[in-house]
Amino acid sequence: MSLAVMDGADYMRDPRKHHFHPYADNGGTSVAIAGDDFVMIASDTRLTRGFNILSRDQGKVLGLTPKTMMASSGCWADVLTLKKVLNARLTMYSHEHHDVMSTTAVAQLLSTMLYWRRFFPYYVSNILAGIDEEGKGVVYHYDPVGHMEKLAFSATGASVAQIQPLLDNQLGALNMKDVTPPTITKELARQLIHDAFVSAAERDINTGDGILIHTITKDGTTDEKVKLRRD
Amino acid sequence: MSILHYNGGCVVAMKGKNCVAVATDLRFGVQGQTIATDFERVFELGPHLYIGLPGLATDTQTVYQRLQFRIKMYEMREGRKLKPQTLMAMVQNLLYERRFGPYFVEPVIAGLNATTKEPYICALDLIGCATEPADFVVSGTCSESLYGMCETTWREDMEPDDLFECISQSLVNAFDRDALSGWGAVVHVIEHDKVTTRYLKCRQD
Amino acid sequence: MFQVEYAIEAIKLGSTAIGIQTSEGVVLAVEKRITSSLMIPSTIEKIVEIDKHIGCAVSGLVADSRTLVDHARVECANHWFVYNQDMKVESVAQAVSNLAIRFGDSDDDGPAMSRPFGVAMLFAGVDKSGAQLYHMDPSGTFLEFGAKAIGSGSEGAQQSLQEAYHKSMTLDEALKVSLTVLKQVMEEKVSGSNVEVAAVTPDKGFHRYPQKAVEQVIATL
Repeated sequence: MSLAVMDGADYMRDPRKHHFHPYADNGGTSVAIAGDDFVMIASDTRLTRGFNILSRDQGKVLGLTPKTMMASSGCWADVLTLKKVLNARLTMYSHEHHDVMSTTAVAQLLSTMLYWRRFFPYYVSNILAGIDEEGKGVVYHYDPVGHMEKLAFSATGASVAQIQPLLDNQLGALNMKDVTPPTITKELARQLIHDAFVSAAERDINTGDGILIHTITKDGTTDEKVKLRRD
Repeated sequence: MSILHYNGGCVVAMKGKNCVAVATDLRFGVQGQTIATDFERVFELGPHLYIGLPGLATDTQTVYQRLQFRIKMYEMREGRKLKPQTLMAMVQNLLYERRFGPYFVEPVIAGLNATTKEPYICALDLIGCATEPADFVVSGTCSESLYGMCETTWREDMEPDDLFECISQSLVNAFDRDALSGWGAVVHVIEHDKVTTRYLKCRQD
Repeated sequence: MFQVEYAIEAIKLGSTAIGIQTSEGVVLAVEKRITSSLMIPSTIEKIVEIDKHIGCAVSGLVADSRTLVDHARVECANHWFVYNQDMKVESVAQAVSNLAIRFGDSDDDGPAMSRPFGVAMLFAGVDKSGAQLYHMDPSGTFLEFGAKAIGSGSEGAQQSLQEAYHKSMTLDEALKVSLTVLKQVMEEKVSGSNVEVAAVTPDKGFHRYPQKAVEQVIATL
């Protein structure tokens, strides 16, 4: 008789391997587009776990400094922790150096912070958007372990596959013969963000409910909320 | 990564006004390694009838050959050309016969009904479950990107030229973000009096 | 506490060093004491580069200064690594000060050191708020100055600087003033080989003046 079929105490059973699952995928999609004197950063407001919707009203863009915002999605617990640690680092910086951190400095700090967790990473996809020292809009894209790329526009998160090719085509004018890339105005950026999220919500269950669009200029930030399909 | 992604490749089809278009990339690879860049996976099965067979390349060829056989048998027995809908049923049947040992292809059918000239598109999964939407169908390794592109760029009742531009831009920009497809593309625009086939220049990486 | 006072007294025996801040940049000039004709003057290094935008002149126990300079360099490199930007001059002074007062009882930052560092330092640098000059003494106190002298001749030199300094000074004027003041307070006759001169400017960052250039200026005094 094998031990497995015997009734009895716990210690008499066959050994069983248990696993630690530290990560969850809570969906969420973010897009950022930089203009000459502004930057727009948007995210959907849906938070999911598997087929469940945890929230229909959870924006994913965090204000870091008056000129810098970050959108992060992925494992929401990690997003919250990263946000907390990052804000602490920002405060420490302002105390140590008597200055608000510049967007480029925040960008590098975020990369460094993510790389510190190289072997137990924050499971997050980040986009950083802000106004740089010259007053220009900038967008930085990250992978979960801190690879950083400065871009004119970028998408990340659940629906990146749906949105990124569209931005490449419409803003980068990729594969367009005799077409120069358009001047990115606030109207164009807003319209494209809206279209991109509508399309993504149409095909991806992890994206939907609403969009929160944040615009950063040298004068400050403005928010706008747009509805998306809720199914 | 599923066996459906082993060789890479994608197909998209779209409805227009009295026309349909079907397009595919030309890459044939083995995981990351590109083997050929002239691998067409969209085949003409009748005067206004095309099928795209993205998936495992060996099954692309086998399914194509077995379909040719069945179509010939059909045409001889029935003495008429088959409708797109009939082809769809035939593909369903062929695929579902292998319900528990499937061909790893997810076909796309595009055509015009020989008599009514009605545009027709459909997509099937690897065991023959079909969907017949009113706008477009996508399949292959960059299907998510294709959905994103098509969903924003597709409009109702496009003329053949617009349809060509729409499907080309959708395909090329989608597969440029996919390492497993790309390396050239071919587009067929099917109208009731002609079929225009164009090969697209695009980035080769 | 006596230790600190002794250290502050000790640096008054060090060689004289002068820093002058202008809107075009900062000049650092130090005297090199050639105590033996067998000494090779070029091996005395009392002005060092902290980062490409910050220089530092030291007076007192030069050996002690190595530790502090090393610390400042590491802080600058780390700041670049983490924030991808040049460290502010004030922040460098603050960072060095933090190390300078780590004597006495141990704390969270690590074990304590037995005595204070016996050096005074002048940090000259250019950052986003312009050219700046900071002075730090063995107690870790650091202050910003328009012009500052440290070392044995500092009392007389500071008096002279006070008279000569004005806000609209050019870098060339500052260079000349620094050497003039050094000439006044040095026991030996000032020459190209017994002074060390460097400057930090927005365009060129930290750079030393070659002996020839120094000699040319000395000739005009």
